[in-house]
Amino acid sequence: MKTETGRVIEALLKGNFICRISDEAAWELLKNDDKRQQVKDHLAILNRTVTSAAGDTVFFCSYIDLAEDERKVIGSQFNELVGSLQPLVNWMVLVQEAGAGDEPLSEGVRVRLNELQSTIEDVPALSEQLAKIARYRLFNSTSTSVDGQLKQVFKRLCELGYLIRPNVEKQIYQATGKIEYLYEVLRFIDETESLALEQKAEAMQQEDLL
Amino acid sequence: MSSNLHKVGKSFLNQLARNADLLMDTYLSGTVDETADNAKAVAKLTAAGVLRRGEADEPLRLAPSIRTMLEDALKDEKGRQVDTNVGSALATIKTLARHYKEAQHLHDYPAADAYLAELAELVFHLKESLRHSTRSLWSRINNEFGYVGTMDAKIRENQLAQDQVSELLGSLELFRFDELAELAGDARELRRLLVVSLQHTMVECTGELAVVQSRLLALLGRFREIQGRTRLLKGFLLHCEQHPDYQVDDHVARVNVPPLLNQGQRCLAPASVDVADGNEERALIELVGLIRRRERTAAEQKQAQADAFALGQAAAFELTDEGLKQDVDEFFCAVIDQAKQLSALEYHEQQQLAWPQEAWLYQVIGNFDSLPAEQREHFGLDPDLRDDPIFSGVKYIEDVRIWLQ
Repeated sequence: MKTETGRVIEALLKGNFICRISDEAAWELLKNDDKRQQVKDHLAILNRTVTSAAGDTVFFCSYIDLAEDERKVIGSQFNELVGSLQPLVNWMVLVQEAGAGDEPLSEGVRVRLNELQSTIEDVPALSEQLAKIARYRLFNSTSTSVDGQLKQVFKRLCELGYLIRPNVEKQIYQATGKIEYLYEVLRFIDETESLALEQKAEAMQQEDLL
Repeated sequence: MSSNLHKVGKSFLNQLARNADLLMDTYLSGTVDETADNAKAVAKLTAAGVLRRGEADEPLRLAPSIRTMLEDALKDEKGRQVDTNVGSALATIKTLARHYKEAQHLHDYPAADAYLAELAELVFHLKESLRHSTRSLWSRINNEFGYVGTMDAKIRENQLAQDQVSELLGSLELFRFDELAELAGDARELRRLLVVSLQHTMVECTGELAVVQSRLLALLGRFREIQGRTRLLKGFLLHCEQHPDYQVDDHVARVNVPPLLNQGQRCLAPASVDVADGNEERALIELVGLIRRRERTAAEQKQAQADAFALGQAAAFELTDEGLKQDVDEFFCAVIDQAKQLSALEYHEQQQLAWPQEAWLYQVIGNFDSLPAEQREHFGLDPDLRDDPIFSGVKYIEDVRIWLQ
């Protein structure tokens, strides 16, 4: 018999990011201190523990002690993440610009593929941007139509866990907590490398206004 | 006097009603679109002070009082003005209260009544304006400043609202109830107006404004976060653009790996089934059942496909090589060759055909009927009929004769 805790442990060991959107029951369980400790005790046997990011928005599985092998794994995963940063950020900006609101993508935000598609098709600059994004190795689309490119990009994003599709029959996607994780990583890079990304964007915006 | 005022007021309201379209258009667009058609109406409304022209070369606009009235009636959120001028209203109230007390002292009761009515009106107005201000702030919070498009505009609106809240709170401090109580003295009416009802409103408003202020701050925080995220994304892209060879530092190579980047390898693969475990028998049987059903459906599909294919071929096959039909065709050829009436059954016997007689007759009749009309008219068919011994009108075909016409 598999218990709820067992299910959560399994999901964590599969490398899933657990958030309110992707798996509410598991997320609630991990929010509970006692239950989380239980999960941690189980994972400790495998030199693993539960880590949260973005203020308990997402939980994921991490190592307790880092030896040579673990460092290798973390290194390769970090490289993978860094490699996908640019396409992902480009995509997020595209969704924000094509959407009606001024809000950037965050956990729980719904993206309606049909609306997005019609906006992108109407604005040549956006379709160009989409074509550029779709060609990244992360998405790897060979399609020349907006429809095909968008479908491929969204399919990949679902596979990567940044989006889920609550209803298979509808083209409505929902951003998961992994998006919040992405912001956290960006902010981390910004702070540790002192890139001052926000200030740069603000200065650029003011130049645009002038 | 008062009946005259009543009449003038009614005619003024009627005038507004007559020009409702024009006024609403002006309310929505902001200025009057002056054309030859509405010149007369515009002139009348301007004379009545409903439409006003700020400067000689400016377009006409609605008078502020009319606009406020409409905003109030329509619960329009665009009215963003918050009247914070409590100080002067308070001064007027105090002055009127003194007038009232003086009139009472001089036993000039009609004057005192008039002052009291005016005072009541003013207090009512002040209370309404305070309530309206808080209400307008609430409605702006509730739709999160939805009437402005960009996040920057929302932040500016939020700051404006915060300023208005502090000003309102500042003007509420102007209420000195000890002064008002002293002023009211022992006049019951004044006490009720100046102390009880005003205090009640003020307590309500202060409480509500405190909530408004905290909500505004929370909203501002959210707006700033959204703005920060947008800037973070755009800044990253900008940075990548400006430094094409930019590489993210290897942050995991340090001694202390940040917990954010410490991500365990996915290590679970599907487990296998223990077929020897009797406890799981039920589940396993169900699983096996699933497998079979899938196989069967696959087989059915295959069969259905094969059937559809075979049907087309078989039909063609029968057409070309159906012995009975061929023999009947030969019988018809014999009729043509011999050019005389032939009995189908006699031919059947002569040729010693293997077909049952009944089938033979059916096929002969069928073949005759299925001939094209231009060919059929060259043949004649004559059935040998026998009546049924019991049922009248029922006839048996014993034999058919075919001849060439």
